[in-house]
Amino acid sequence: MKKIALIFITLFYLIPLHAIEVIDILGGKANELSVAVIPFQDDLIENEKNQIHNVIKSDLSRSGFFRVIDIGGVNKLPTSLNDVDYSFWSGLQTELLVIGRVQRGDEQIKVVYELIDVFKEKMMVSSEYSGNIKQDRQIGHQISNVIYEKITGSKGVFHTKIGFVQKINNNKYQLNISDMDGFNKKAIVTSTQPIISTRWSPDGEKIAYVSFEKKKPVIYVQNLKNGERQLVANFKGNNSAPAWSPDNKQLAIVLTYNNFSQIYVMNADGKNIKRLMRSRSIDTEPVWAPDGKSIYFVSDRGGGPQIYKIDLKTEQIRRVTFEGNYNVSPQLSPDGKLLTFITNDNGAFKVGVQNLISNQVMKLTQGRNDEAPVFSPNGHMVLYTQKNPEKETSLSTVSLNGFKTQVINTDSVRNYEATWSPIDF
Amino acid sequence: MNYDENINLQSNLFSVFIHLSILFVMIFTVQWSPQYPYFGEIELWEAVPTTKEQAQTPAKPKNIEVKKSEKSAPLESQKIKDEQAEINLKKKKEKELAEKKKQEQIKKLQQELLKQEQIKQLQDQLLQQEKLEKLQKELLEQDTQNAEQEIISEDKKKSERIAIQADQDMEAGKNKSEIDKYKALIQQKIQQNVNNNLCGLDYLSLSFEITLLPSGELLNDPVLKNSSGNLSCDEAVERAIYQSEPLPVPTDPKIFAKLKKIKLKFYPNGQPQ
Repeated sequence: MKKIALIFITLFYLIPLHAIEVIDILGGKANELSVAVIPFQDDLIENEKNQIHNVIKSDLSRSGFFRVIDIGGVNKLPTSLNDVDYSFWSGLQTELLVIGRVQRGDEQIKVVYELIDVFKEKMMVSSEYSGNIKQDRQIGHQISNVIYEKITGSKGVFHTKIGFVQKINNNKYQLNISDMDGFNKKAIVTSTQPIISTRWSPDGEKIAYVSFEKKKPVIYVQNLKNGERQLVANFKGNNSAPAWSPDNKQLAIVLTYNNFSQIYVMNADGKNIKRLMRSRSIDTEPVWAPDGKSIYFVSDRGGGPQIYKIDLKTEQIRRVTFEGNYNVSPQLSPDGKLLTFITNDNGAFKVGVQNLISNQVMKLTQGRNDEAPVFSPNGHMVLYTQKNPEKETSLSTVSLNGFKTQVINTDSVRNYEATWSPIDF
Repeated sequence: MNYDENINLQSNLFSVFIHLSILFVMIFTVQWSPQYPYFGEIELWEAVPTTKEQAQTPAKPKNIEVKKSEKSAPLESQKIKDEQAEINLKKKKEKELAEKKKQEQIKKLQQELLKQEQIKQLQDQLLQQEKLEKLQKELLEQDTQNAEQEIISEDKKKSERIAIQADQDMEAGKNKSEIDKYKALIQQKIQQNVNNNLCGLDYLSLSFEITLLPSGELLNDPVLKNSSGNLSCDEAVERAIYQSEPLPVPTDPKIFAKLKKIKLKFYPNGQPQ
């Protein structure tokens, strides 16, 4: 009996250890992290847009993960850790604080910054950058990247580049490269004829595009390193919609060789061209899956234009989009899990995203005439062309989180057909 | 997930073990006290004959009294005889016959008296017996009444005990609902702050253990018990906990004690259906 009693005594001592109350918390709120980006100390520059904190603010708010809070009315803005009044900032529901100090010389710039977790009252990151004075925005982007990666776990893309076409006038078209926010724009191709379908190669070294300079669409590949360009597809009929294979060695293109659009695959230099499949329908806008095993494309084989997928090994074709009667311009996220496209939503052409695992579709934009969506290299944003009723076009990003749209700032209202550099560019 | 399943298996086995052990404890260690008074009742009824025996012994003194009265009666008759002898000496033989008659009458009277006395005594005896019996009966009744009262009081105690138990249960129930209330409040407050933007698209789960101060603030940093495998998600959830300070906690220290240490299980993107 004593033994039994002993067992029970020990048992009842053990129970309270396990009887800890458990609270299940399902779901959450898709919040934006509220972040206060304080003007860096001594960041004196005429062009306020180039102030480090403004670069960071723009980057973070574009991402859709952050809500940059207005600090207009705040008197004492901290610029170093010792100045931070945590209770004040937590009272403002500020989760993160970015503070820093700048030394701008004639040639050099030095930036020190700290990322602070207000509620934990802890510094999360601190580092120092120095570089040429012209690299001030780059330094801002680098800081944004670090903050972004620290918070989201994914690499930031604020340092990356975009390529896009700018219509200067009816006789002048430019293929530009700029920072992803539109700054530091420079033209790499100028043409009297329209340019469309810009596609940055996965290794970042080339951009393929369609030009009308041969009085019909033909495909060029522009080498960004040496500035050379190569005509890779000038076959009978129209040559359009180039798509890079993940290994940069091949291009999928569309030819109207036999009267209606068909997809072909060739080497990146235009050699060894093969027809991908024979169909009695219009097949166009191919895009390679990141694993290289399949190609997504648009076809009207089911009636209206829908997105399909062909397995390159088995040549099996499967329809991918089912929502709505018009889905075109597919592009895949870098992980291959998401598909973005333009979907006709009761007469409005919007950017849609389909989760290829759940097949759930979200409409990211509210636009009436959106075009040419393309994923950011981390798959968190989509860059697309917005067309307004005056036929003005502008580039915008939309975040997958919070569907936050932000226009790419350039001096033009005739930008379109953008492509995004790889992340390591 | 496997870890969770293991935990589940362990906890299930543990709960089965606990239930069995509680059952065991209930069967073998709990005093079934409410039953004892009924056994006592039966014994009391069986004990009635013994109380009768006891009642017979007090009857003995009565018998002695009776004997005494028998002795005293002849003494009185002797006195009468002496008086009669004196009268006989004075009146002598003339009245011998009458005297004899008188004596006979007296004897008769005496006898009658004796009889009467005896009857009286008998009656007394009977009365006393009756009284005794009454007493016995009364005693018996009292005993039974006592027994009954005992039973009643036992019942009372039992019902009181039940009432107390019920009160305790009520209080426990109240406590439980209070605990549940605050658990819901805590759940609500933290959930508002869980930024599941940072938890990707997959069904993740993670858990933190927190220790609270009576003010609802954290005693120390939340302890990550199970990671979601997504560092940003873990951190977002941790921030949500910090942001929810102070957490709603009960003012009743007894109830607070139950919520001092809690495990928070998060499913930032819900649970698969």
